[in-house]
Amino acid sequence: MWLLLVLCGSLTVCSAVDRNNFKTCDQSGFCKRHRDMATGASPYVVLLDQLTLDHSKATVPLMNKVTKVQLKLEIWSLKNNMARMRVTEMEPIKQRYEPPVGDVLIGEPAQDSLEKLQLDGAKAVFGFGSNKLRIQAEPFLIEVSTDDVPVMSINHRGLFKFEHYRLKNEGKAEEEAEEGNEEGNGEEGKAEEENKEQPEEEEEEPGMWEETFKTHTDRKPHGPSSVGFDIAFPGFEFVYGIPEHADSVALKSTANTEPYRLFNLDVFEYELNNPMALYGSIPVMLAHNEERTVGMFFLNAAEMWVDIHSNKADKSTFSKLMEFVHGDQDIPQVDTHWIAESGVIDVFLMMGPTAKDVFQQYSSLTGSTPLPPLFSLAYHQCRWNYNDEKDVAQIDENFDAHDMPMDVIWLDIEHTDGKRYFTWDSVKFPHPAEMIANISAKGRKMVTIIDPHIKRDTNYHIHQEAQAQSLYVRDRDGNEYDGWCWPGSSSYLDFLDPKVREFWASKYQPDQYEGSTHDLFTWNDMNEPSVFNGPEITMHKDAKHYGGWEHRDIHNIYGMYQQRATVEGQLRRDPQQRPFVLTRAFFAGTQRYGAVWTGDNTAEWGHLKMSIPMLLSLNLVGITFSGADVGGFFKNPDAELMTRWYQAGAYQPFFRAHAHIETKRREPWLLPDENRDVIRDSLRARYRLLPYWYTLFHAAEAGGSPAMRPLWVEFPKDKSTFGTEDQYLVGPGLLVHPVTDAGATGVSVYLPGTDDVWYDMDTSQRFHGAQTVYVAVKLNKARSRFLIPVFRRGGCIIPQRDRIRRSSSLTYHDPFTLVVALDKHNSAKGDLYSDDYNSFKYQAGAYIHRQFTFEHNKLTSKNLNPAGSFSTPAWIEKIIVIGVKSSPKAVYASVEGTGQSSLEFKYDDTTQMLIIRKPGMGVNKDFDITLS
Amino acid sequence: MKELLFIACLALLASTAFAQLKRPRGVAISKAEFYQEGRDFQCLDGSQLIAFEKINDDYCDCDDGSDEPGTAACPNGSFHCTNAGHKPKYIPSSRVNDGICDCCDGSDEYDGRVTCANYCKELGKQMREELEKQRALLLEGYEIYKEYVHKGTEARKEKQNKLDELRTQRDELKAIKDQLEDKKQELEIPEKEAKDKHRTEWEETKALMKEEKNKATAKEAFDELDANADQIVTVEEMQVHQEFDIDNGGEVSAEEAREYLEDHPQVDFEVFYDKIWENIKEVYKKPGSESSESAPPPEQTTTPPPTSNEEIVDHFDDLPDEEDDEEEFLEDEEDLEDEDQEEKVDEQGDDFKIPEYDEETKKLIEAADQARREFDQADSRYREVDRELTETEKVLALDFGPNNEFYPLRGECYEFTDREYTYKLCPFEKATQRNKHGGTETNLGHWGKFDGPENRKYAAMKYEKGQNCYNGPDRSCYVKIECGLHNELRSSAEPNRCEYEYVFASPAACREPPPATYDPNHDEL
Repeated sequence: MWLLLVLCGSLTVCSAVDRNNFKTCDQSGFCKRHRDMATGASPYVVLLDQLTLDHSKATVPLMNKVTKVQLKLEIWSLKNNMARMRVTEMEPIKQRYEPPVGDVLIGEPAQDSLEKLQLDGAKAVFGFGSNKLRIQAEPFLIEVSTDDVPVMSINHRGLFKFEHYRLKNEGKAEEEAEEGNEEGNGEEGKAEEENKEQPEEEEEEPGMWEETFKTHTDRKPHGPSSVGFDIAFPGFEFVYGIPEHADSVALKSTANTEPYRLFNLDVFEYELNNPMALYGSIPVMLAHNEERTVGMFFLNAAEMWVDIHSNKADKSTFSKLMEFVHGDQDIPQVDTHWIAESGVIDVFLMMGPTAKDVFQQYSSLTGSTPLPPLFSLAYHQCRWNYNDEKDVAQIDENFDAHDMPMDVIWLDIEHTDGKRYFTWDSVKFPHPAEMIANISAKGRKMVTIIDPHIKRDTNYHIHQEAQAQSLYVRDRDGNEYDGWCWPGSSSYLDFLDPKVREFWASKYQPDQYEGSTHDLFTWNDMNEPSVFNGPEITMHKDAKHYGGWEHRDIHNIYGMYQQRATVEGQLRRDPQQRPFVLTRAFFAGTQRYGAVWTGDNTAEWGHLKMSIPMLLSLNLVGITFSGADVGGFFKNPDAELMTRWYQAGAYQPFFRAHAHIETKRREPWLLPDENRDVIRDSLRARYRLLPYWYTLFHAAEAGGSPAMRPLWVEFPKDKSTFGTEDQYLVGPGLLVHPVTDAGATGVSVYLPGTDDVWYDMDTSQRFHGAQTVYVAVKLNKARSRFLIPVFRRGGCIIPQRDRIRRSSSLTYHDPFTLVVALDKHNSAKGDLYSDDYNSFKYQAGAYIHRQFTFEHNKLTSKNLNPAGSFSTPAWIEKIIVIGVKSSPKAVYASVEGTGQSSLEFKYDDTTQMLIIRKPGMGVNKDFDITLS
Repeated sequence: MKELLFIACLALLASTAFAQLKRPRGVAISKAEFYQEGRDFQCLDGSQLIAFEKINDDYCDCDDGSDEPGTAACPNGSFHCTNAGHKPKYIPSSRVNDGICDCCDGSDEYDGRVTCANYCKELGKQMREELEKQRALLLEGYEIYKEYVHKGTEARKEKQNKLDELRTQRDELKAIKDQLEDKKQELEIPEKEAKDKHRTEWEETKALMKEEKNKATAKEAFDELDANADQIVTVEEMQVHQEFDIDNGGEVSAEEAREYLEDHPQVDFEVFYDKIWENIKEVYKKPGSESSESAPPPEQTTTPPPTSNEEIVDHFDDLPDEEDDEEEFLEDEEDLEDEDQEEKVDEQGDDFKIPEYDEETKKLIEAADQARREFDQADSRYREVDRELTETEKVLALDFGPNNEFYPLRGECYEFTDREYTYKLCPFEKATQRNKHGGTETNLGHWGKFDGPENRKYAAMKYEKGQNCYNGPDRSCYVKIECGLHNELRSSAEPNRCEYEYVFASPAACREPPPATYDPNHDEL
């Protein structure tokens, strides 16, 4: 949230991001050291004669020819078509940080067999699945191919660099300081001449043992510790992922810019089209071409920089074995260079070969998004701040008065007693439990904000206990870390410590969190962590955490641990109820703990436009439950922007409106009637499609597939979609093109798929795929309406609930409508997942999962969970079949356990739409419906 | 007997009206005629004709939702709660069977999932009591309102009368003032002439006197130089005076002396005075005196006299206090000092005092002074009345409501204190806020206008252009006015940053309630 309201007060100008607050690569010693390396400078050789091999793993020393320092290179073959490469120090003087198994990786990844195909002093070749992995001894190189087509190449550009831990040579440093550099260099030169076999010390470079940025000095007591490597993707032009950046979904070349930076930061009024680091980091990259999708995951929690260069593959560098079949054509290649400040090199190679395979592979490593409770997929109303209980009651009433559905009301920091989390402002919120009960009486929920910084107030119970039990992060001198945040002087709980997470979780018990109820959920903000007076508005890197790790080692993972502890708290409070926690900071694995939003955006068209690539990037690397603040956080949106943002947000996974405290009120009913009515329609569109969203999230849990997808995920061979970011798919069946320009009267929508057909959601008009159509989005006076282009994909059956209630929980028993959009072959399929929307009973089989198939004029509902124990009164009230060429004479239904019956229907020639009236069967029944 | 009759009436109603108006669930009596059993139903928008059985069959057939008033099947339907004992109402049909009791008679929930109590009677009773209370308040408030109207109207009339009076008075005073001004100007002419004449004569006299004085000084010097008193000053006599040593050679050479004598070997007084004196009087030293007479008095140049400082300060106050101007002004200040200085020096060197005016002139001045005094008095009387007039016009231009009922609030202020701030409302002037524990008052807005919603313009006031918010808008305050027996500021809120909202109660907002239309005992249908 909103860093710097406080600091801004003292500045004269306070607009947009202040870039000076954040480092460039040049200002970051380790980044500069790696980035300055010349191609081929990496002095490593693989000692293949010392290679050891077991069923799934090869281990071999990797030696720096200059320093003679040896590293340990390990290669695994993993189940699900993956490989892992890990590089650590052979004889470390100090351990390096690796996130404990279970914290990022959900477990020790299952191993697969690694087949030795060839091994001599110069190279080794292993097979895993249909892939080969070839290690070249000197210079060190690893090439990976699938079906003999090269797809990845590690140390291809020779930028591999591993700064081993070393002792600071105090004597030498002093000597050098006294005698000057010239003589020092001379000595080194002499030594080299005298004995070439002797290991050399690596050159000392500035910033290795101490680094100062602005007024902050990083003591770096352990000296240089960075690791870096390059990996090339031959045959690929497009790479994706490594959020979070306010930038395009297809990653850009950084040849003439800063590298993409991954370092969780609280950035005030962030800039668009910029590789600067934002609130979260996921070091996962996907590469896609017409043939395949592959991915890589660099498991490292330290500050990271990634350079990307577009290149042409140099065919000569690939062995004969891996030669292309493409002939003489230039082969594109993306070169990437990964630089981390500490930790080890631990890289997972996800071999695809489809995008959905990569999603599944990545989720097998770090987990998937657990099915969220239904309310959390509905609409959230937030503002900094709803001022008091009366304000909250009025918001609640107004949604009903204007007949707009809404599920959750949020309270920002002002609800607390002086920014002491887990407390309430006793004047503004004297009866919180009663307030929440009034809201939940309509099936709604509430969320309060709980940040990781704790006010250093000796009368505050959380602070007292944290001090008494020693739960805070320490500064470099071992004192409680003291930084400035919302409450003023604050300390930060050390969530890396299981004891701290235990403490934190216990605070969500109703007797601990006074005024809370089972209908209250949580928002973890500022957990990068944000430290207003810290370097780059975050924590000092030489601060100390549990296990003796420095903050530099764990920075990017800190926020995830807070959200995890919060989830554990909610689970302890309600073991039978699914938790809901929103976080701003994130890391690989965050998808297991709840939702993410894109932080403090601005009420500008550019930010609405940028929300699409930002969310697509998150969805591609596991974080599917994500959204952007609808309306824009900073500044005041005009009615048109507000309307367009609601239209977009209604088709994005996490749908929450939010606003800065200094902005004007902007709840939908405050807008002109015309806009208000469109927003009501958008909210209703969201609620109508909740069964579809819920089914998509079931699929996300099961297979890691995101709900919001770039077009290329579904149309992998259509190269024109590889960079598309102004439209996207919701699941397989809906194409959405939000309107993101002021005053737009129409947009061009690309409908992919040469063999596909699409139907306009509003008019059911049919379009062939592989064409661009112009869609009017602002109809004239006669129907002065803002429209958002949404298309149904022919071949998809989408379940929906057309009855809109005040909140999603009031619809549990309502009937479903099935919308069958026929493809060119007059068939379609889809599914519906449903359960009690709230508990964990689905994990024991208490759910229904129906597969719907339309073929040969027959719609069939098949049970995908025959052993299911969930029962519901919900039934099917309507079936709409779009794309029916002519009216059937009759429609018959045959339902499990009953005989055949005739159904009423209506057919419309112009729209080619068939509406089957009230089939009436329970949704959990097998049935078929025949058109004759 | 009365009761019996009532029951009989009810029975009649039940047997006739009810039988005819049997209606589907969720349909109001007024709409019952459209839903007739055994007849096809025409959607109320006329779009379709559907079988009667399809009414409330939990499937939406009509686009306007009219076929499903009693189910949640249509997204745009309305369900009618009869709410016997209380007020009937429509709710969106999406609230039927959603598990929440919306109608006080519980008729919206009938699928058995929840049981809703019928609390319409209690609610009706409560509402009637509430209405009674409200009515009583309005009635009482209305009495005060009428007083306010009376006061306001009277005051306005008075002001209006006063305005006429003031206008007449002002015109009269203006005539007097103008007349006295003429007279003043008339008398100032001879006065000025006499004074000018006096000054001119004095200037001439003064010049003569100065000349004489100079000549005397020259003679004195001549006599001094003329060591042998032969009425001739020679080169030799000049050489005795060291001050003529031009080249500081230690002695006065003959050349030097001759140069001073303009190459005359010797001069008599006449030549000396005409040709020499002007050149040497700065150099010449009277024996026994160190400084020459004409040297400026020491120190005077650096310290400006205190009076001039005061003038500067006054000058400062008149200037707009913008930084740019300040610098310019500082330069002006220096100029001012210099001028002042010169004048002072001049006066210092001037031993001659202007003689008093002659009797004739004195009389003329006396007469002019008298005319000026009379004019000043008349002018200030005029201005005072004019000011009062402007003030009155301003007040009369204010909108005190359609019947001047808000007039009594003018000039008053009302306060409300919450845990942090004291909020103040001074109607027709301003709204302010100050911290309970002290500090300066923050202006939340100056009187703008009545700004209520359409048709209820006088239900709210708007105060605008208050103190600017850092990085934000000017503060403003919206004051909702409700009926109350006393003028009272009831609450303050800040729904948007720097946009305040007061609730203010006043008899001025009380209106006569409509006559009671129902019999509280017989209102159940």
